Amino acid sequence: MTNATKLLLAAACVLFLLVGVPALIAATGRNDLYYTLTSVALLSIISGGVWLTFYIGRINIGQGAFALLGGYVSAVLVTAYGISFWLTLPVAGLVCALASVLIGLPILRLRGVYFAMVTLTLTEVMRLLALAVPITNGAKGIVSIPLPGGVSLFGLTLIPDFATLENPRLAFYLASVVLMVLCFGALYRLVHSRIGHICLSLQQNEELASSIGVNIASIRVLAYAISSFLGGLGGAMFAAISQSIYPSSFTVADSVNFMLNCFLGGLHYVLGPILGTFALYFGWDLLFQTGVYQLLIFSSALIVLMLVLPNGLLSLRLPRKKGA
Amino acid sequence: MTTRRSVLMGTALAAVSGLALSAGLAPATAAEKELNIGFVGVTSGPAAAWGTSNVRSMQVRADWLNELGGVKIGDDTYKINIVTFDDQKDPKRAIAGMEKMAQEGIHYVVGPNVDDGAAAVRPVAESKGIIYFPYAFPKELYTKPASNAVLGMIANYQSAPAIYKYLKENKGVKKVAFIAANESDPLSQRDGGVAAAKALGLEVVAQNDTYPNDTRDFTPVLTPIIRLKPDLLVLSGVSPGNAPLLIRAARELGYTGLISTETAHDAAVLKEGAGELADGFISVGGASTPAIRSKTMDEFIARYTKKFGEYNDESNTKVYALDYIIETLKANPKAINDVAEFKKTVDTFGAPNPYVKEGTLKYVGTTSFGQKRQLSVPMVVTQYKDGAFETLFVGEVD
Amino acid sequence: MEQVIANGLYLGAQYALIALGLTLIFALMNVLNFAHGQMYVLGGFVTYTIYGQLGLPFVLALACSALTLAIVGALVEKFLFRPVIKRSAREESTMLLAAAIAFLMDAIILILFGEKQRGVPKIINGVFVSDSLVMPYDRILVGVIAIAMIASFMAYMQYSRTGRAMRALAQDRVAAQLMGVNVDRYSMIGFALGALLAGVVGGLLVTITGVNSGIGGPISIKAFLMVMIGGAGVVGGAIAGGFILGMMESVGLNVLREFGDVTYLVIFVLLMVFLSLRPNGLMGKPWG
Repeated sequence: MTNATKLLLAAACVLFLLVGVPALIAATGRNDLYYTLTSVALLSIISGGVWLTFYIGRINIGQGAFALLGGYVSAVLVTAYGISFWLTLPVAGLVCALASVLIGLPILRLRGVYFAMVTLTLTEVMRLLALAVPITNGAKGIVSIPLPGGVSLFGLTLIPDFATLENPRLAFYLASVVLMVLCFGALYRLVHSRIGHICLSLQQNEELASSIGVNIASIRVLAYAISSFLGGLGGAMFAAISQSIYPSSFTVADSVNFMLNCFLGGLHYVLGPILGTFALYFGWDLLFQTGVYQLLIFSSALIVLMLVLPNGLLSLRLPRKKGA
Repeated sequence: MTTRRSVLMGTALAAVSGLALSAGLAPATAAEKELNIGFVGVTSGPAAAWGTSNVRSMQVRADWLNELGGVKIGDDTYKINIVTFDDQKDPKRAIAGMEKMAQEGIHYVVGPNVDDGAAAVRPVAESKGIIYFPYAFPKELYTKPASNAVLGMIANYQSAPAIYKYLKENKGVKKVAFIAANESDPLSQRDGGVAAAKALGLEVVAQNDTYPNDTRDFTPVLTPIIRLKPDLLVLSGVSPGNAPLLIRAARELGYTGLISTETAHDAAVLKEGAGELADGFISVGGASTPAIRSKTMDEFIARYTKKFGEYNDESNTKVYALDYIIETLKANPKAINDVAEFKKTVDTFGAPNPYVKEGTLKYVGTTSFGQKRQLSVPMVVTQYKDGAFETLFVGEVD
Repeated sequence: MEQVIANGLYLGAQYALIALGLTLIFALMNVLNFAHGQMYVLGGFVTYTIYGQLGLPFVLALACSALTLAIVGALVEKFLFRPVIKRSAREESTMLLAAAIAFLMDAIILILFGEKQRGVPKIINGVFVSDSLVMPYDRILVGVIAIAMIASFMAYMQYSRTGRAMRALAQDRVAAQLMGVNVDRYSMIGFALGALLAGVVGGLLVTITGVNSGIGGPISIKAFLMVMIGGAGVVGGAIAGGFILGMMESVGLNVLREFGDVTYLVIFVLLMVFLSLRPNGLMGKPWG
């Protein structure tokens, strides 16, 4: 595929997501899908961060911590200081990135399961902090967060006030899809840049990478900071949608799921997290009518999938890649 | 090659999406009318017990009513159908569940079971016109401007003062110690309990001790508390699974005072987990003791046991929500598709309570919430003895 | 203080036993078995059914727990992990498989045994009481059995032919294969043994803390912590990690109780600091 056709294909996909899906939903009346798809978009942004840490050869089971942190940063800024949600969104990401630099400097030296386990405890640390720190309102959580307000520039309304909209779900959906496209576009650029190639070499052999004069420590911290930035964005959006945040809004189970999304989609592909999230989230949702057997069917399907496609859903295309 | 694969993938994706769109579209084409009542709560994972007793109570009651020919609301007779959604105790899933209920045209939903879920579904419920019945205590859910949540049980800030007062006056309790799991619901309940105890002039000797909800061995966390020799040990918001373990650990450490909680518990679980060490354990239930139970409640228990093999005493409280919904709809058939009508009816509604010998179904909560947003469930404070609950006293919430 | 130390030792013994099976499987196959806690729960329910429900002797129930889990472990290795490991490009992919198995076992256990907390009659009644120490006899017995099991497991690994083969496998898979060790066979035995240990400790602890279908995940995570402290894939490390965590919980909950929920916060932060100073735990093998 040439770059031009790739770009065209991507543009067509984005157009479908922004126009086609709402039209389909309007035609079928399945309004509940807005939230489901919004969730998929946001969760895949968060999982995209995890994917990036996989890309530098680290198993990250701590992304829930940053999603939670991002959610709280946005919620506190909106409720306590009355700052516009749209401004808190990048701030949430930046705070998470900053926190991840502080945490990452010592722990990124760890590898394999050790890194995985330390990040696993990170989610729990963040939950306990949220319970203990006064600014988070502790166990009672932050509730009744107002919907995102409008943004206008020179009298031109860029983003309408969500509270005045007839269907805020659609607005959240569009915002999330745009955010997802931007994030994955950036990830794609990053992976195909010089830094991306260095990351890949880190995944394969760190000693070798460092021996040819790459400052691997800073590259690792950079990748981890970007990863956490994405986690913070997703968390902040979720806080806005549910208009509430609790210490238990993102838990260890979420962190594990973010990781599974990446595995399922395939660790070799930038778009893997989107597909993985879509499959896992929708898979569970589709089975909701099976009642007590939901988890049984869901997990059996996962096992079968692993047996058939141990390298993720997108590995259906793996042979071509190897040949290329 | 590439294109064929891409096409294949695209087709597969489209198929999945199509399936997603069509699932849940299929309308109920039964000859008789069906009334769908929803449930959004947790029925898997560590907290499965909470939602499971909820769902099962609803299913048993629905089967029973359907067997009797359905319920007559206005001019039509409806079969009751329970639509359940497992939110895995995840607030993000709970929102999806509520959206799903709205999609199915459901206006009355029981659940969620925990604070964060109940807060997260509020925007959906209010915008889609759903009345929901959470088992969560935050007052913000029930006081204005919130208007669509109805508390399904007695809140601990309502029962705790009554229990502590009773124990202070009748059992000479002076020193109280609190212990709670380090999660939102139990911690909030602990704070409420501490406030109630202090208001009564009791001495609170321990209030900061917490444990992770998945603790299996409670000896370490209880050791320092027992040494303070409290007269009453309050297990704030304790889950049914942890209660026997806490009781057993406390008793084996030589604790001889009283133990109480404000949540509902199951006698069989206490019996298996702590045996005679659980004797004297004080908890709060609905129609939980033979002394106050009606024949209908006995039959409900028998049907539940027959359907699921074993009864769960938590259902003594959770049996109520479905009856409240149905009885309120009977009182005002217009409410079936219009929750504004439901809210109007709430203020005047009254019907006999089928599950206790004497009592009425009505909406309460004026004192706590400033509006009637709570089911009146008899506040039966019970004491465990030899595998069953005995009535200590019965209170009421207004 | 004696009480606090005794609590810590008892807790440590049971933790160490839980961590052993996990670390064994990791050592042999580089698989982080997310389903370890679920195997523990299944073992607990087998003992519950045979000892608690049918009223048969406790020892028999424990043996059944061990046998059931050994079979489950062997099957899971042969039909699930082995093919996936052979075909996956990155070793970590087994994590998804392990998590899926954990979900599956959760679902099966919930359907089979219900959502309620379960318990069995005590194996011995009575409480040992002295001035400074209170300890129920059944806890003492379980603690002693746990330590005896740890000792016999270590002896088995040290002196038996199978144990030697598994140690060789853990050290260097390729070299072991070249030396004529049947890798597939010993991987399966090792996995079965790891699962068996989980089942036995589940069965043993059901007499003290009961069992409940939802606790598998949390147990796994706790076991991960111990393994990390001691160092992944090393038997001695798992034991050390178990005792250290047990002692930290016992002492921490006693010393830090005035400050609210900070005990576990402190434990986790200490763990992070410790691991950044010693990236392979106390005595673990490096793995990247």
